[in-house]
Amino acid sequence: MAYRRRRGHGQTPSAVLCVRPGSLATRRTRAHNICMVSDFFYPNMGGVESHIYQLSQCLIERGHKVIIVTHAYGNRKGIRYLTNGLKVYYLPLKVMYNQSTATTLFHSLPLLRYIFVRERVTVIHSHSSFSAMAHDALFHAKTMGLQTVFTDHSLFGFADVSSVLTNKLLTVSLCDTNHIICVSYTSKENTVLRAALNPEIVSVIPNAVDPTDFTPDPFRRHDSIITIVIVSRLVYRKGIDLLSGIIPELCQKYSDLNFLIGGEGPKRIILEEVRERYQLHDRVHLLGALEHKDVRNVLVQGHIFLNTSLTEAFCMAIVEAASCGLQVVMYDRVAGEAVLPMDKRLDRLISHCGPVTGYIFALLAVFNFLFLVFLRWMTPDSVIDVAIDATGPNGAWTHQYPHSKKEGENNEMSKTR
Amino acid sequence: MEDEQSFSDICGGRLSLQRRYYSPTCREFCISCPRLSLRSLTAVTCTVWLAAYGLFTLFENSMILSAAIFITLLGLLGYLHFVKIDQESLLIIDSLGIQMTSSYASGKESTTFFEMGQVKDVVINEAIYMQKVIYYLCILLKDPVEPHRISQVVPVFQSAKPRLDCLIEVYRSCQEVLAHQKATPASA
Repeated sequence: MAYRRRRGHGQTPSAVLCVRPGSLATRRTRAHNICMVSDFFYPNMGGVESHIYQLSQCLIERGHKVIIVTHAYGNRKGIRYLTNGLKVYYLPLKVMYNQSTATTLFHSLPLLRYIFVRERVTVIHSHSSFSAMAHDALFHAKTMGLQTVFTDHSLFGFADVSSVLTNKLLTVSLCDTNHIICVSYTSKENTVLRAALNPEIVSVIPNAVDPTDFTPDPFRRHDSIITIVIVSRLVYRKGIDLLSGIIPELCQKYSDLNFLIGGEGPKRIILEEVRERYQLHDRVHLLGALEHKDVRNVLVQGHIFLNTSLTEAFCMAIVEAASCGLQVVMYDRVAGEAVLPMDKRLDRLISHCGPVTGYIFALLAVFNFLFLVFLRWMTPDSVIDVAIDATGPNGAWTHQYPHSKKEGENNEMSKTR
Repeated sequence: MEDEQSFSDICGGRLSLQRRYYSPTCREFCISCPRLSLRSLTAVTCTVWLAAYGLFTLFENSMILSAAIFITLLGLLGYLHFVKIDQESLLIIDSLGIQMTSSYASGKESTTFFEMGQVKDVVINEAIYMQKVIYYLCILLKDPVEPHRISQVVPVFQSAKPRLDCLIEVYRSCQEVLAHQKATPASA
């Protein structure tokens, strides 16, 4: 990652959602302990993943403590540390479909509660409506009486069965979320409609890219032919089926058209099939997986950037391709609404989510609460060790205490990384 | 010099930590769990026997009752001999190495020894254990081929699972000994 490496040198990139050190003068007195929850995080690659990472780094720079909770990716499980002491929990939860965990609404409560307590979390920030873990965390956080924020990264339809179900789930889990962030106005409209929300608690914070990373280079492309570039993960959600449908038609219609496709994924086989069937080996180039730093080199070779994504709310790739109009966005919004007491929460669930779903989820919320009471009885909060803070104003990594307790822990941390 | 302090384990149970300082470079740490309580023993036995009695009234086969007696006896023996650890100790001698001993409730002892040349460091790490996230003390062993890499992580006090405050005590003492060992490389 180009961004990440730069950060390693202690330099502040002017990129995504960034706050410069200068603005630390206006640092708020009250620092938050923020927990980012999403099924999608590195080593999985994508827009949500890099968004969470960049956002966390910026919040750490502002003096908050940030941890990330995601599920285990193959051999990568347990607790890891990233740049600036950003702590990542890879929880051993079963992956069901498309890197999203299975949800029963209950099984993740013991672990999540343990983490929320030991890290003294005050704000839960969930990402992506495709992530079951994010919804679970919102649900548990409300049971535990914590503040919640949700960022939606995708658009969704209203017609087919899967979107109807997802939308219902979204209605339920967003109905008692304190604040929702969308990445574009279209996305806000979509989310408000899908989840039947009050538009006032939905903010829009668009993304941006670093223009110095994505500079145009007209000499790299051949003007005798037109090159269409596609850079995306080759999965269903990114509309690769559509792409495989239009490639032969376009190639037939325009003889001076070439395709350059970067990215990897399960749908690559479809593109290869199409290429095989229509004998387009010299016109459709599949580049495979791209490193983030190579993306620019691929982009400058083309004339047209094509994005076929079905669910994109705010396509980073389009901004990268257009690479102009840099926006520096300050992320400074933490929900301020009071936490609802249990009975009010139930009322709201029932009144907001329709009679059947409302009652079912109100019942589930009660069960969840009873489960939480049971867990509190099994392992009281006082038994749970407070985790050593690696980031934030009192972080073990940011300060050197010469001959005190912290120093020892400091060593431990860096060695066990 | 010897002193004793009481701590708690990750489930809230009581533990006692004994520290014996034989010399500045030779220290022993002993963590003892409470012994098997009569109450829990009675509770388990009663449940097994009541279940057996229930099955007996259903099937009217006295084999079930005798089986229950054997199961409880064998279970108790196995538990005391293979599962229940009463005391775990860590002996660190700077010129020799680190020895871990665990004594079972039956009196059985198992001992592991690591030579100082093998030991890279003693650290506190975090892990996800059951439905908890816990801190544990572990010994890092050097890879014999490449001394800069770690070949194995050996957890200490595996059955007692003390909390962080207890681990920090042990960790600091171990670090003092290790620092002393590094300062005098003649033994290496």
